[in-house]
Amino acid sequence: MSSLISLENITKVYRSGLSDFHALKGVSFELNIGEMVAIVGASGSGKSTLMNIMGFLDHCTTGKYFFAGQDVSCVPEQDLAGIRNQKIGFVFQSFFLLPRLNALQNTMLPLLYRQTSTELAKEKALLMLEKVGMVNFAKHKPNQLSGGQQQRVAIARALVGEPDVIFADEPTGSLDSATGRDVMDLFHHLNQQEKCTIVIITHDKSVSQNCQRIVTICDGHIV
Amino acid sequence: MKLLAHLKEAFLNLSSSKLRSTLALLGILVGTASVVAMVSGGELATNEALKQFKTLGTDLLAVAINDVPNDEPGSHQQINLSLSQANAIRAVDKNILDVAPYTQLYNPMQYEGRSVNGSVLGITNTFSQVIHLEIASGRLISSFDQHSLFCVIGSNLYDDLKKINFRDPLGKQLQIGQNFFTIVGVVKPWPENSFVYANIDSSVLIPILTSTTLSQYSTINNVILRLAPRANIEELNSHITQYINQEIPGKRLFFRSAKELISSMAKQSQILTIFLGLIGGISLLVGGIGVMNIMLVSVVERRREIGIRLAVGATRADIRYLFLTEAVLLSLVGGTLGVLIGIMIAFVIAWLWHWEFLLFWWPPIIGFSVSVAIGVFFGFYPAYQASQLDPIEALRSE
Repeated sequence: MSSLISLENITKVYRSGLSDFHALKGVSFELNIGEMVAIVGASGSGKSTLMNIMGFLDHCTTGKYFFAGQDVSCVPEQDLAGIRNQKIGFVFQSFFLLPRLNALQNTMLPLLYRQTSTELAKEKALLMLEKVGMVNFAKHKPNQLSGGQQQRVAIARALVGEPDVIFADEPTGSLDSATGRDVMDLFHHLNQQEKCTIVIITHDKSVSQNCQRIVTICDGHIV
Repeated sequence: MKLLAHLKEAFLNLSSSKLRSTLALLGILVGTASVVAMVSGGELATNEALKQFKTLGTDLLAVAINDVPNDEPGSHQQINLSLSQANAIRAVDKNILDVAPYTQLYNPMQYEGRSVNGSVLGITNTFSQVIHLEIASGRLISSFDQHSLFCVIGSNLYDDLKKINFRDPLGKQLQIGQNFFTIVGVVKPWPENSFVYANIDSSVLIPILTSTTLSQYSTINNVILRLAPRANIEELNSHITQYINQEIPGKRLFFRSAKELISSMAKQSQILTIFLGLIGGISLLVGGIGVMNIMLVSVVERRREIGIRLAVGATRADIRYLFLTEAVLLSLVGGTLGVLIGIMIAFVIAWLWHWEFLLFWWPPIIGFSVSVAIGVFFGFYPAYQASQLDPIEALRSE
């Protein structure tokens, strides 16, 4: 298996006034293509910071980050949006759908930001909604959907741009256990059938047990 | 994203908070409408003021001949211009086409035993041609009238006489001083203007020789000249001054040319228009500040949305466009409605003052483009602020 993400001795320091906060203290991590990995840890352990750095939402303070073999540690700020758009799909705990847009428009959004034509974006988004079982709800606004349904739309939005990796931050955190299991089954299916590379950040044991590999992070270190 | 998609999205976002968008729109609308209405109103007023010259023509020059105040005893005997000397002005310069000297008297007048208000103008037969006076009924003063006791009355005076006696005054007697004049004509209303000081509508016109015979105070102090188009006024003035100083020394001459009058009026009204435009501009500025305020609130409220958009791959420029388009759309719609309402207000102004309504093309264009410029200017800072948000912090905000 070839490596998709390779982190070498990553540190992240938040400077606030007099005291510095070390969120990550030298993390090295390897993610292979097609893997489904769980990153677990207590809140404040640095797992979200790790995801933000891997997801190009944030820069690391020191260390090397290789993405698909390329050193991306020093990519300038204005290029990050393009990388996020092309390579990364995000799934968040509280779904983060745009309330004014319907399920289809929400799913189309990443494609519109890469200048795909509206017709093609619509076609692809419908296909993706079908994959997550939400095609019948395409015209529904988020407030007309249940939590599980919203999360499925969010997953469709993460998948629509055919990213190299999906980062899911507590994807079942706002769902009841039955719906949570459904969503995990969907991730599982996507990983097995569609060969998606998935990183799930969670502190839920039942979620992490579904993954092939569990990485535990504690106090800014990988244990 | 494409422009159309941006506009569609901006429209969707604005319509999701209708009241607030409407209020912001109203600010721009009122501002644009006041710019358009005030500037158009100023232009209409200018047009109205210059209208007198449409009938009068612009190639006119008025010469006033005044005595120089002199305290020396024995020098009070001032020599005045004779009619032949006045008519000879025509020969002074080839650009002078016609000469119309006139005298002015304020003798008491009576009609059917009742006193009447009005001034008396002693005129030559050229007067009506020079100032484009038209006859309504009867006839004008002709060169055959010489010293005769005929008179022509102005339209206001005609109305006054009809109030005294409902019968047509034409052919009746009007008493001026001790003499009875036969009314032989009535002239059409003549636009009031700042060029000929006498108000012809409430005057009695009598032959100039009659007037000089009537009173020793009736002197030729005013001459109106009709000039060839594109005559050099400066040169003409010096020629006339030279001639009159030679004929009757010790006078001071004042020249008023229609062209100079028009240009000074145009200058004044230009200042007025600029001033009115500035007042309108201030309200447009206030409208712009309103847009900025609302956009700033919108940015704070939509921090999470901005975070989501950044996470799915929107660039900072995309976010900037998103908010800028909303601000511009607000001012575009407000500006368009404002222009329409401004034109309507200008129309109402013209209607109330009985002015002629003209649609000037440039106040709407200025009003519209300034409102859009204000939208861009005041929308830029909130849009910039939105685009500079940190995606992680934006996502974390409630």
